[in-house]
Amino acid sequence: MRNQVLVPSRAVALVVMLMLLWVPASLAGQAPARQESADAARKASPHSSNEAMAYWKAEIARRLAENSAKVYDPRKPAMSNPPRTPWGAPDLRGWYLTAMYTPLERPDKVAKQFYTPEEAVEAFTFATTSDAGVDPATVHYDWKEFGMDAWQSQVRPNLRTALITDPADGKIPSLTAEAQKRRADAAAQRRQRDPQTGVSIFGNLYTRCVLGGGAAPLIDGGDPGSDSAAGAGGVTTEMQIFQTPDHVVIVQQRNTDTRIIPLDGRPRLPQNVRQWYGNSRGRWEGNTLVVETTNFNDPAPATHFLGSTDALRLVERFTVVDANTLRYEYTVTDPKTWTRPWSVEAPLPRIDPPLYEFACHEQNYGLINLVMGAQIRATEGRLDPRDPRAASPAAPR
Amino acid sequence: MAAVAAGALWLAATPIAGQAPSSAGISRTEDKKPNLNGIWQAFNTANWDILAHEAQAGPRPTVMGAWGAQPGGPGIVEGNELPYRPEALEKKRRNFENRMTVKVANDPSRYDSGDPELQCYRPGVPRANYMPFPFQIFQNREQIMIVYEYKWSVRWIYMDANTEAPVDSWMGWSNGRWEGDTLVVDAKGFNEYTWFDRAGNFHSDALHVIERWTPSGPNHLLYEATIDDPKVFTRPWKMSFPIYRRLEPNLQLIEFNCVPFVEEMMYDPLGLYRPGPRKAK
Repeated sequence: MRNQVLVPSRAVALVVMLMLLWVPASLAGQAPARQESADAARKASPHSSNEAMAYWKAEIARRLAENSAKVYDPRKPAMSNPPRTPWGAPDLRGWYLTAMYTPLERPDKVAKQFYTPEEAVEAFTFATTSDAGVDPATVHYDWKEFGMDAWQSQVRPNLRTALITDPADGKIPSLTAEAQKRRADAAAQRRQRDPQTGVSIFGNLYTRCVLGGGAAPLIDGGDPGSDSAAGAGGVTTEMQIFQTPDHVVIVQQRNTDTRIIPLDGRPRLPQNVRQWYGNSRGRWEGNTLVVETTNFNDPAPATHFLGSTDALRLVERFTVVDANTLRYEYTVTDPKTWTRPWSVEAPLPRIDPPLYEFACHEQNYGLINLVMGAQIRATEGRLDPRDPRAASPAAPR
Repeated sequence: MAAVAAGALWLAATPIAGQAPSSAGISRTEDKKPNLNGIWQAFNTANWDILAHEAQAGPRPTVMGAWGAQPGGPGIVEGNELPYRPEALEKKRRNFENRMTVKVANDPSRYDSGDPELQCYRPGVPRANYMPFPFQIFQNREQIMIVYEYKWSVRWIYMDANTEAPVDSWMGWSNGRWEGDTLVVDAKGFNEYTWFDRAGNFHSDALHVIERWTPSGPNHLLYEATIDDPKVFTRPWKMSFPIYRRLEPNLQLIEFNCVPFVEEMMYDPLGLYRPGPRKAK
């Protein structure tokens, strides 16, 4: 029991909290004081870095023994004779997970392109527990909490140290001068506050429910539980590939965003027709589905993938590696943003169906509450502290 | 005599579209089912009113003029009558009056306002099938997916594993089966927020739709739906209309992501609309 209590993970802290809440409640018929359970949760969490490190070492050894077969090896050859649809195409149909702990860019302290399986398990274990430094008495919105343990999902350690395969240093190429200025302007704009409401921004495309993923590849790496705009989408990373003889449809659960990809060699849309998800055309190259997407729109402020523009050209490749995995590769070209094209390779592990409707705009009280809260805070800030309304959290504006 | 009897049967079975279901010219999938893959669209005025209606000015004639006016049409409801319960009929009347009222709040009261279509909410079933937008059917043996151009609303019709709706949703939960050449879809698990049309015809979360999609040639479907909702109606009722294959070469659905189109209308009255500077074209 003691070892388990030492687990430096918010997931286990949550278990401890639930136990503390449940046991006394069932015995006494009433919940303990909130402060009491919070103190108990903090007390039960790791006491020292030495204890945490000892736990980690034991944990990695155990995980390695159990899971070395689950480590994704990108050098494994694709299936030479993948399953076929009834009409004879390679069968990519199914449900997949795009969550990933492997970072997009290679960390500075890592020099090599591939880990050993031991190192991959270690990196994965660190990545999935690196958010343990938070207060265990509070509740967090982290995708692991629904499964309690990152290993319960189909996300796997990857021998790759970074998803970027080209350039060889595993880093995103440098920005063009135009993109540097765009980024600085966007940052300045984000700092501006509306004088009337005190609200800094209206929200990003995800919080506004305009897009779930956006003009972006399916995978961009990193911690799916982080609180960045991309990470907010990262908590909902299920997707479906649907095929017919002349189309492939990719549905992402986030926002139920859907891309319809014709395979019949038809011409592209005219240049002036722009879409949030661009305009995709697909073709088979051997057993690999190749999807080329252009005609992305260019909304203001620029919010597309890593600040890219309407000049973005995305080429994605899907290949069956084994019964439970697709290989997903993409190349990003945007001469308005990067000084050269760059490429990524990552696995897409199969998961169980189905997808659920993600009615985001229809239920978007989150946006309303965020902005109303900001307005109330701004009003409180303007009130004289002697005004009794200044102390009330529900002060009218 | 037998020929006469067969003729009488044929007449009795003739659907309102005036076309007898015929297997002639229907393309088929590898499992010999009608091949519904493609882009389809209904061409009628039911999205304004599923009952017969005259042309009339729109709700904002001072700014929208003829753009905002509604065309007349024969309706799609069998018998041109909806069997509302008395209290539901009153709500339908209020819905029509408030059809352009937009209420932004952080509680469910916001749904008790104008037409969900106006606010870019998913249209539900059957309305998605007769909105003035095309939709695309993707057909597999195990599953049929429909993507509607309006808001990219998606339905999955499960053909192999018929299961209960795990949760209520805007587009519902659909189980399908083939009866001869007719695709029969049993759709349930709806929430109570969608409407049938801009006239305020509505349903509750007890809505149960049985759809019948029958090819009546290579480029036509007859769509029939039986609507049951004991909380709102005194008996089940039926609608039907033809759906046409869009034949333009290389046609594709174009994104109709309407969220940015409604943000100013919905959020500006609360002072919430601050999307940043507009881009000059």
